[in-house]
Amino acid sequence: MLSNRHLFKTATTGLSTNRSRTFLTIFGIVIGITAIMLVVSLGAGAQALILGQVQGLGTNTIAIIPGREPTGPSDVSSLYSDSLKEKDLTALENKANVPWLKLIMPTVISADSASFGSNAYQVNIFGATEIIADIFDMHLDSGSFWDQDDVLSRNSVVVLGSKVAQHLFDTENPIGQKIKVKSVNLKVVGVLAPTGGGSLFNFDNMIILPYTTTQSYILGTKYFNRIIIQSVTDDKVAVTADDIDRTLRESHNITDPTKDDFTVQTQQDLANRLSTITTSLTWFLVAVASIALFVGGVGIMNIMLVAVTERTREIGLRKALGATNGDILKQFLLEAVMLTVIGGLVGIFLGTLLAFIIALGLSKGLGVNWQFVFPWSGAILGVTVSAVIGLVFGGYPARKASKKSPIEALRYE
Amino acid sequence: MSNNLNIIEVHNLKKSYNDGETQTLALDNVSFTVRKGEFLAIMGPSGSGKSTLLHVLGLLDDATSGDYIFDGKKTSSYSGNELAALRNKKIGFVFQAFNLLARTSVLENVKLPLIYSDIPEHEWDMRARTAIEAVGLSHRLEHQPSELSGGERQRVAIARSLINDPDIIFADEPTGNLDSKSGKNVMSIIQKLNEENGKTIILITHETSTADHAERIIHLLDGVIDRDEKVKNRLTTSDEYVK
Repeated sequence: MLSNRHLFKTATTGLSTNRSRTFLTIFGIVIGITAIMLVVSLGAGAQALILGQVQGLGTNTIAIIPGREPTGPSDVSSLYSDSLKEKDLTALENKANVPWLKLIMPTVISADSASFGSNAYQVNIFGATEIIADIFDMHLDSGSFWDQDDVLSRNSVVVLGSKVAQHLFDTENPIGQKIKVKSVNLKVVGVLAPTGGGSLFNFDNMIILPYTTTQSYILGTKYFNRIIIQSVTDDKVAVTADDIDRTLRESHNITDPTKDDFTVQTQQDLANRLSTITTSLTWFLVAVASIALFVGGVGIMNIMLVAVTERTREIGLRKALGATNGDILKQFLLEAVMLTVIGGLVGIFLGTLLAFIIALGLSKGLGVNWQFVFPWSGAILGVTVSAVIGLVFGGYPARKASKKSPIEALRYE
Repeated sequence: MSNNLNIIEVHNLKKSYNDGETQTLALDNVSFTVRKGEFLAIMGPSGSGKSTLLHVLGLLDDATSGDYIFDGKKTSSYSGNELAALRNKKIGFVFQAFNLLARTSVLENVKLPLIYSDIPEHEWDMRARTAIEAVGLSHRLEHQPSELSGGERQRVAIARSLINDPDIIFADEPTGNLDSKSGKNVMSIIQKLNEENGKTIILITHETSTADHAERIIHLLDGVIDRDEKVKNRLTTSDEYVK
């Protein structure tokens, strides 16, 4: 009976007799596993980055979007894009309707050209209330934010994103100056600090003004593009979302929930949706990388078949000396599995190293807040898959070896 | 008819090969017995069926029909794994082409059958050294086959065949790849194993000078036993064994 220790020793000897070939065979598996590790690690890093930013808004944040979520290509959701109005705001602010509401902010969004003197710049217009600074954790480089009175009085005041200020004013001090949007003069009261390229919410190209001013003087509309709500605590998010649903249906005279002309989206919904996207993207890439692994497996099978033919004499000798078919099968199977598992381990190391270097490059070089994630699932998957590949692709050659008749094997020249 | 003194009994043994449409009869109704401790040579021109006979006797191949009783039991009753165990414990092989593992030391080569045996591992080293000593290669323990002469390689193979203390040794043209001096040396070792250690030896050869080391010669011709005779002027071990 062949002990495990000697089985291992025999397989190791078998592999070490042709080192360069062993190395090249392993290489295919190394590439496959490296690719998988890299994809899984980068996918996890991207997911952590996106979710971190979403959660940075506060997990108690709820957004109300006009129109219902499209359920199919023919469903025109934009049909109800004007459904959120001032009366909804009043209904939601009523504590009897939404008791756990902490704050509420209507927003209007648009894009247009802003100008100062002869300088013009395409900007995103964000109309909101003064609490936007707290919700999005905005920091000012200079000046101050407009306040509640400006919202109530529809004052023509504006806070500029850093790039807007730079393009319109260059080195000049923008505070107190007036910029022009759609022939409306807006007084600059503050300039935001740059938010950087890696952020999900980029305010650098935005101008922020009271939503009342935006509606009345710039857009001439009476509806909102979003209503942002925060519940008092995280565990009241679900209840609050339900309360919002009920309040808005009542306000819009809707009895059938499938006919809703608005959508209530919690941060959790958003986080779930984003992680579904990044996860499925990651696994799609893993599937692509697996092709390399499969090709590596075919390489293993090919080389094992060559080895079995080359070592026909050795197989015959071992059988004549008392090796059973099972002993031979185990020896060649273990050789194949050792090849793939070594390849797998090297691949895990290389993949991790590459992912680490990329993470370092992204965070240091591009200033993105990118965390290196060690892909445990990828590592476990890598070792398991490589062992399975050894068993699957080594199985046929090993079986062929074990079935060799000792006399045919010994006669082989 | 079976008898404890016989290690091998063969009755009406037939072996045929199907070569596509033609059927070749390699062994045709072969019957004989081999006593325990006997030194038998099987001779015959190439194609006479002597290698086929050795493979069947060595449990490396099945007969097409007839009975083969090895050590008192019909071999047809054994499973594949039992046959492997028998080859491991009771049989030693010496081949014309030596069949040593390349890039593996003399010591490890000799130990090879032990990894498939149930002999405890702490005995392995001592057994291997004893066997190597018996063929006079104690000074070559760590050498690899490529560093040895043909005669030395065959002596390593003999040491390997002895490692499990088998009852019988099959030697298939053991001197076929050797010069005459090394050949004589190898033959005297084999003869000593028979005379001093009581091993049964079955030797396949086509050289009369080699066969004359045996006590008895079976001549095969076209798969049939042509003659079965005692050796009259048997060679002795004496002076030919050189360390």
